[in-house]
Amino acid sequence: MELSDSELVKQCQAGEMSAFEELVSRYHQKVYMVSLGLLRNRDDAMEVAQEAFFRAYRKINSFQGGSSFYTWIYRIAVNICIDTQRRQRRNPLDFRESMDSVMEAQDEVAKDPFADVHDRELREKLTKAINELTPEHKAVIVLRTIEGMSYKDIGQILGCSEGTVMSRLHYARKKLQDKLRVFL
Amino acid sequence: MKLPKMRRSLVLLSSLLLVSFAGWCGAAEKSPQSVQVTIRSILAANKSDEFDPKLKGMEQQLKSLKYRSYRSLKDESKTVPWQGTQSFEIPGGRTLTVSPQEFQDNRIALKVRLTEHDKPIVDTTVKIANKGNFILGGPPHEGGALVLSISATAP
Amino acid sequence: MTNCEIIRESIGSWLDGELSPGESDSVRAHVAGCGACDEVRRQLEKLQMVLKDELAGEAARIEFMPFWREVQQRINQKRPWHQELRDWCRDFFTAPRIAWSVPAVIALVLALFSLDSYVPGWRFGGARNNFAAVDSIDAYGRSVALLRENESKTTVIWLYQDQEGENEAAEDATKSGPAF
Repeated sequence: MELSDSELVKQCQAGEMSAFEELVSRYHQKVYMVSLGLLRNRDDAMEVAQEAFFRAYRKINSFQGGSSFYTWIYRIAVNICIDTQRRQRRNPLDFRESMDSVMEAQDEVAKDPFADVHDRELREKLTKAINELTPEHKAVIVLRTIEGMSYKDIGQILGCSEGTVMSRLHYARKKLQDKLRVFL
Repeated sequence: MKLPKMRRSLVLLSSLLLVSFAGWCGAAEKSPQSVQVTIRSILAANKSDEFDPKLKGMEQQLKSLKYRSYRSLKDESKTVPWQGTQSFEIPGGRTLTVSPQEFQDNRIALKVRLTEHDKPIVDTTVKIANKGNFILGGPPHEGGALVLSISATAP
Repeated sequence: MTNCEIIRESIGSWLDGELSPGESDSVRAHVAGCGACDEVRRQLEKLQMVLKDELAGEAARIEFMPFWREVQQRINQKRPWHQELRDWCRDFFTAPRIAWSVPAVIALVLALFSLDSYVPGWRFGGARNNFAAVDSIDAYGRSVALLRENESKTTVIWLYQDQEGENEAAEDATKSGPAF
């Protein structure tokens, strides 16, 4: 029978590494997705996702179950992403492999329903438009879009009220719609 | 779990405000605008054993003078600017003139002159602790001795 | 603000399932009958779908074992001391109770140091040193005694009458003057 997240956390706190491995297995892709959505860079997203689980492991004993594990790990990941973005704004790199160039370089086909030129262009524009949002606006869009999280959970992760989540989402969506209207 | 962003900002802001306030208070203490001087005129005598309840808090100081009775005659408090002068009417036709000179290391330097019918009796310069006092006494009064408690506070 | 403008502000929340049943019904009814608002709905849904598919597609390529090995390596690896110190500082100063303790401690220290303004006689660090330093005395020929009373830490300047006695009535006082 599959153990719940809280049972796995308790086992981690008791020193069971296998329990932590199971938690990583459940959420590594989702955490990576959120990081990729925020950072728009594969390497950075991987780095952040791994770092998020490492920090969660270090702090596992202080996790008291006030929120769900997934809310907690997303919170850690989002905070690392926001810090990373702020650092990058202060010290921009000369070259960064971005989502659009990654997508252009890949040869894989057919399973990707958006392989045609129109959708590739949409993805490029989408990446650019998302990157123009502030980290906080990016975070609400990504968390809502990928995870379908409630405003309450998003608010817990980002440390803001549901009303703020709603207004940020509205603003971010409006911005994206305005920039991508032609492609939508 | 990391403190929510807004609360984190609030915590940092309140810490900063408190530290700034403490600094301002510290700075303010180093340069107070004026001094509150309080003169308590007391009659020390040996005719009875009374101790005026108004003098509660000064028992230790006064009983060291070894008189049997102590009675409060007058209390007066005035604000005196630094380097300024203020006069206090003292029973027995006397006048006490006080001039705060400087504030350093939480001590107030006071110039004090006691006159009797316009004749100087004593001039002294004393450095007392802020909110502290010293005793000036001895002039005869009503069968006993006049004792003056001179205190100063720099807010 | 027109009805369409009001509804368009709520379409996102409606699609997210965050509206009350009543509000949800209103939006649904309007969108069903308004081409422009329905177009907004369609665009938002497409935006969501594109973003989700793009990211989900990328995430599906992430294999667990290589990812887990990297995480394990981080856990087992000894970090440089400055990184450990930075992590400790971050954890310490952002833990909720600890973070609030910072201004609380500052406030407590300030309160302790200012308590003597409100509680007469109370002083942080023990009894006040009330001794006065006498820089100068001029008694105009009179005898003067400068004394320190140790128990109350009080400085006493005592003026004695001169030998000839200006005031005879003060004889009693001077005879039984202070005996330190």
